[in-house]
Amino acid sequence: MLRRPISLLMLVAFCAAAVTVHADASDDLVDQIVKLLGHPDREFRAAALERVRTDAKGATHTLTFAAQLPKLDASARAALITALGDRGDTAARPAVLEQLDGSPDEEVRTAALAALGEIGTPSDLPRLVKALASESAAEQEAAGTALTRLRDPSVVKVLAADMKTAPPQVRGKLIEVLAARRATGELDAIIAAAMDDDASVRTAAMNALGQIGKPDQLATMLPGVLKAARGGERDNAERNVAEVCNRIDNEGQRGDALIAALDTVAVAQRDELMPLVGRVGGKRLIRFVADIAMGDDASRRSFGIDALSKWPDASPADTLLEIANKTTDAAERRQAFQAYVKVCAIRDRRNDQQRLERMKQAMKEARTTEEKIAVINRTRTAYDVEAMRFVRPYLDQPEFCQAACETIVELAHHRQVRDPNKAEFDAVLDQVIKLSTNDELVERANRYKRGETWERKK
Amino acid sequence: MLDQAFEALKTYDYGTPISELQGIEDAMVAAHADPAVRQDLEQHLIAALGSDISRDAKDYVCRKLAGIGTPAAVPALSKLLPIEANSHLARHALERIPGPEALAALATAAKELSGKLKIGAIGSLGARGDSSSVATLASLLNDADPAVARSAAMSLGLIGGSEATAVLQSAIQTGTGDKDSLIDALLECAESLVRSKQTVEAKVIYESLSGDQQPRLIRLAATRGLLACGARTAAS
Repeated sequence: MLRRPISLLMLVAFCAAAVTVHADASDDLVDQIVKLLGHPDREFRAAALERVRTDAKGATHTLTFAAQLPKLDASARAALITALGDRGDTAARPAVLEQLDGSPDEEVRTAALAALGEIGTPSDLPRLVKALASESAAEQEAAGTALTRLRDPSVVKVLAADMKTAPPQVRGKLIEVLAARRATGELDAIIAAAMDDDASVRTAAMNALGQIGKPDQLATMLPGVLKAARGGERDNAERNVAEVCNRIDNEGQRGDALIAALDTVAVAQRDELMPLVGRVGGKRLIRFVADIAMGDDASRRSFGIDALSKWPDASPADTLLEIANKTTDAAERRQAFQAYVKVCAIRDRRNDQQRLERMKQAMKEARTTEEKIAVINRTRTAYDVEAMRFVRPYLDQPEFCQAACETIVELAHHRQVRDPNKAEFDAVLDQVIKLSTNDELVERANRYKRGETWERKK
Repeated sequence: MLDQAFEALKTYDYGTPISELQGIEDAMVAAHADPAVRQDLEQHLIAALGSDISRDAKDYVCRKLAGIGTPAAVPALSKLLPIEANSHLARHALERIPGPEALAALATAAKELSGKLKIGAIGSLGARGDSSSVATLASLLNDADPAVARSAAMSLGLIGGSEATAVLQSAIQTGTGDKDSLIDALLECAESLVRSKQTVEAKVIYESLSGDQQPRLIRLAATRGLLACGARTAAS
């Protein structure tokens, strides 16, 4: 009878001993890590930080590590905060907040903001939102990343509510965060922001819609395009709406959806959205735009031609050529022909030979020096040695010589075109070197002759 | 089908379609389930190795023997070890053929060959990871050719275990061989000890290398090792 309690006692004693040994081993590791955290050599510190991230689990050890923060210099402190964030134990949160609020070092505050993305709670949202307006770009970025990563279902609602009252600079960033969090439940708030008076907020909203918008909201996005200022902002808004349209796989349905959305816009404003139609493309929409581009109203025709010029492939080429050839208005001929050459040259699904054939056809149709130069310029998109052979004779004609030089150098830029025809390219590049008045082109020609690369300036 | 493939092997060379040897490929698959097929195939391959076939054909045969070879193939493969063109693939097979015969053939080559072929044989002893090679490798640590001494140290590191560790520690203490390679090998031994949860033994090695007299990178590696020992102990 006595044996059972004795066995039980022995088992308890064994377990207690095992726990003690384990705790001792764990403490030893923590001591090792703590000693290394203050090491003057960053590589040694990094070895310890790696262990902070993954080993010696438990809140007690986390607090021991966090307690080292005040003893370290700024750089080591920032690294430890990052490691504590990666460790993911919320026990480190108070120490991290203390560093965020009390440290004068940007590096430390940035690390603390980023760490809150891993170990923060919704109560940290005001701090993080405030940091979006920080003077430090690094802190802004860290706060944005933290807001994106913070794990709590209430975060999105709070951010969407903040978006309505925050200053414009912060509003834009909050929209970026909502998009990164794929906050599709807040699309209405983002659509409303697309009509904001501040351009940066509008742009952020349209970008967000481009990322997470749904095709059934196309109609609500169009006012955002119209509100966007002409130029870069309008282009960006159109691109984002086109992005949403392209989520509809079927080309016909895509066209119908956009036309249905256009029907919700006042007729007077509809023509302004023609370039957007061009960006979406597709046979269904060609007919829709071609009717406008070839209609009786001259001002509407211009919108239509502009839309066709933005088509994502060469399908409206023949329509544009027809407009260019039929019109009696010089400006319209100019606009239509330039658009025709542009879509002929576009790098769509056609191969380079097909693209070159279109350029040869365009050259036959060109009437003026300006039109021929446009063709020579755009021939650079046909990555084929035949394109160089097509352009080369224009080197001998003074009015086309400089355009031909540029196109030949652009074609030579492509190693797969240049290398198999090196002797021929070397000879024509020698001509370019002799004839070009552009120093950069001459330098590029020399580089390609030597088999070197050239990086395009951004 | 097999005879036809071995007939094709007689004229097989770079550029010959591999499909001509399909019979051998099929037999390789069948050999896994049928010992008789395996023995027959091995005999065919051994015979081919002794015949006048191209280098590419011999390479092919060595690759197949690496998959199904037994000690019976060792003599034929050993004959290729001193031949520069065939030595590499012969070692490839001998590294994988089980049993002391293949190990002995590599040990003999490590002692008797010279230059690159000797270094190759030493590397193969390391790749086999058999502690019975420790004595052979220990005797090469002070070889006149520094490259041989270095590769002997590296192979000892690959073999690991207490015997190789003792040899390396002793060589470091007596200044035998290339110090950097010996320390590298010792660190390799310690890492394999950590992997096999022998953290007490590993810790002794790391502590011996963490002193201020050691170069920075060695100290860093030893520090990382000590942390790994601590983490492994705490987790177990």
